[in-house]
Amino acid sequence: MASKQSALCQTFPCRENQIQQLWNLFGHVDEVFPPTVYIYGGPSTGKTAIVTKFLEILDIKHAKVNLIECYTAKILFESILDQLTGHELDLSTGAPYAKCDNFMDFIDHLQKVSEKFGLSRSVIIMDKAEELRNMESNLLPGFLRLQELTGVSVSVIFLSEILFEKYYFRLNIVEPIKIHFPQYNKDELLEIISLDFDLARELVANNFNQPIEFDRDFFRNYLNVFLSVFYRACRDLSELRHTSRNNFIKYCEPIARNEISMKNSMALWKNISPILKSSLDVLYLRVTTDDSKRPLENLAENIELPFYAKYLLIAAYLASYNSVKDDKRLFMKYHGKKTKSQHDIKRKSKVSEKLNTQMGPGIFTLDRLLAIFYSILQDKVGFNNHLLVQVSSLVELQLLSLASDNTTLDGRKYKCNVNFYCIQSLSKMVGFNIRKYLSDFSHM
Amino acid sequence: MCEEVKQIRVYLKDKLLNNNVLLCLENERTQLADLLLKTLDYGESNSILIIGSIGVGKTRLVNSVINELSEKGKFRTDSLLVKLHGLVHTDDKLALKSITFQMKLDNAVDGKVFGSFAENLVFLLGCLRGGEKRCSKSVIFVLEDFDLFCAHHNQTLLYNLFDISQSAQTPICVLGITCRLDVIQLLEKRVKSRFSHRQMFIYPGPEDESKINQLDSVLVHIKWYLEIPYKARIKISENRRKEWNQALDLLLKDKKFKNIIQRLIDLELNFNSIKHFLLKCICLLSNNISFSVVLFENELNLLEKDEIINTLRDLSVLELCLIIAMKHHCDIYDNQPMNFEMVYNRYVKFANKHASIQTIQRPVVMKAFEHIENLELISLINCGNSRVQKEYQFFKLMVTSQQLSEAIGKFCGLPTEVLQWANSSLT
Repeated sequence: MASKQSALCQTFPCRENQIQQLWNLFGHVDEVFPPTVYIYGGPSTGKTAIVTKFLEILDIKHAKVNLIECYTAKILFESILDQLTGHELDLSTGAPYAKCDNFMDFIDHLQKVSEKFGLSRSVIIMDKAEELRNMESNLLPGFLRLQELTGVSVSVIFLSEILFEKYYFRLNIVEPIKIHFPQYNKDELLEIISLDFDLARELVANNFNQPIEFDRDFFRNYLNVFLSVFYRACRDLSELRHTSRNNFIKYCEPIARNEISMKNSMALWKNISPILKSSLDVLYLRVTTDDSKRPLENLAENIELPFYAKYLLIAAYLASYNSVKDDKRLFMKYHGKKTKSQHDIKRKSKVSEKLNTQMGPGIFTLDRLLAIFYSILQDKVGFNNHLLVQVSSLVELQLLSLASDNTTLDGRKYKCNVNFYCIQSLSKMVGFNIRKYLSDFSHM
Repeated sequence: MCEEVKQIRVYLKDKLLNNNVLLCLENERTQLADLLLKTLDYGESNSILIIGSIGVGKTRLVNSVINELSEKGKFRTDSLLVKLHGLVHTDDKLALKSITFQMKLDNAVDGKVFGSFAENLVFLLGCLRGGEKRCSKSVIFVLEDFDLFCAHHNQTLLYNLFDISQSAQTPICVLGITCRLDVIQLLEKRVKSRFSHRQMFIYPGPEDESKINQLDSVLVHIKWYLEIPYKARIKISENRRKEWNQALDLLLKDKKFKNIIQRLIDLELNFNSIKHFLLKCICLLSNNISFSVVLFENELNLLEKDEIINTLRDLSVLELCLIIAMKHHCDIYDNQPMNFEMVYNRYVKFANKHASIQTIQRPVVMKAFEHIENLELISLINCGNSRVQKEYQFFKLMVTSQQLSEAIGKFCGLPTEVLQWANSSLT
């Protein structure tokens, strides 16, 4: 028994405490299982992996369902029953072990299955349990007291990222026993990722012609450098592991080219640190750093809009983030003398959180868009259907979105979906000063 | 772990989780038994609601009464028991199906078409009647989570059950179990008028406060749960058993232990939480043969911990910075909702001021923001318009400033700038 436990601890380092807790509840033969256990903790803290492995090692019969996969009650019930009975789906018909349309059927079948196969000391694992809140209202409280409802001694383990207190929005909730899986800290992350040593070796052997021999300390040094850049932005193990693998090759490149010796960690650090910084910018995005040389903000640059379409987009942005009242002042050359009113003074002292650019885009009509378009465009262009087509192609590209009903043809309303950084770089390209025309900035 | 501790653990866990023994509520028990016997023996119809908070032993009370009666053979010949549960039988159709099944009348109903729910139910009950009115089987209906039945369409099931219990048809007794105190208000007028308005309230704690105080009654329960009685089926030596019980007695008299239990019942007084607490403590029994007070204390400290603080400590520095920015926003704008754009600007202002904070690109910050949203530390305010872009959707913060400052205090490896920023009241 103890050997199994220590083996599990070795497979999942830095989780001794949690494994011990699980062991106390489920690990002993002849002891009664607790009816429900709720396991919570951030993403990639090993909840699912540890629980599944744990039950496998102990040879406990279990059904594992993911609430994202089982998005309706029917699928959920049927897949639980299929797994508990060991029912193999017939590929031609796909018929489940038993049809369950509602919770009552499920309980009936569970009782029958229990008589037939013996379900005592079996476990149902519900991954992503927070989704239960969005399903039929009786499921969450029902599964929380499954033992009481069925009379079968089957335990339920819920796995979720959120706290249990977030489930207290209706009555009839019975509190389960809770186990917290904390996020790994820096040392633990280092410990876990350095288990990748063999894989890193393989990676290096595959990527370079001449083999580089390195030891664990070299790899750990790299990880130290790596984590010092990434740890503050991200503590997600799987994300960090992925990124560390990608960057390790780049770390070794100068060694392969015989430019820097392996012992010169300072030079290696100097070489890798800009690369790490740029790959920090694309964290979570799962793009390789090579394609992301162009900053992602300049989305509009990438899609190569025609000249007038660029202006149309700028006009749309201006229409979205200026109020109609300011149009006259911003876009007309001779807007007459303006008397300062109390309102203007108030507006100048407007706090940054109330800026239009932070409150989201407003809705504008096509007429207003065209009026602004003609006002900001220096050379005169005739109004023709080429322009109108460009408006609809901007909508197609999701740079604008239609805010009015799809069926009306007259007085269509639009909204600009592009953010400030994007429009700023776009206006730079066409030589247009966008700040001058935004009421948020014009008084500054 | 030695063999005897193993045996003790097995025994105690089994006793804790698999027992149906009712330890208190004697008065209620006799009252309920009397009521049921009237239906069973004399054919009087009745209805009663048993109301009490979660984990006080409502279901256990009903089950123990029913078990006692069935041991006397009451249900064998002249009466039936039908159990329904609000969580399982979510509409009247299912309930009726289950009633038919539990009455073993599937054959009688087979192929018949009924005009209404009432007709169907009356037919079912009619099947029980043997010729004359006097010789009908009586039926006990137990409705658990009674409040959920009130949400059924038109409350047809309840209406019909109460109607039958009022009129001199088949003798039935309707037992409703619920944790909602306002359950009577949930009943429609026509249903309410047919209900007998007999209610039984069950409170946690001792029945008579003057005789025994709350703490002592809980201690009696704990003693019952943890002691190993003389006749227990357990393979340990007699000496060991005595030793265990003596150690338990000492523990229960310990002042510190009493304090711990007092703290526990101050938090929540129901048997579920006490049982979970004891279960966790039993799980920690390994080598020593008796409980120590420290073990209980540690377990209680874990229970009293605020879980939000744990979650906050799991965040990365970037995510924590965003939470701090949100907190500042809440302080300045008096808890007005915020969107990503505002939080991001506040964060960028802070990051630009301090050279040592690495600049992080907007998409990564967005991702961190989404992570916070997934953990439900902030919650979306629904403005009715679902087509708003992500950056401009409004959220409100679900973390109090006390929780945040406590989490920041415990956070290891937090840069000093962030710490100062968090503690500064104006930015």
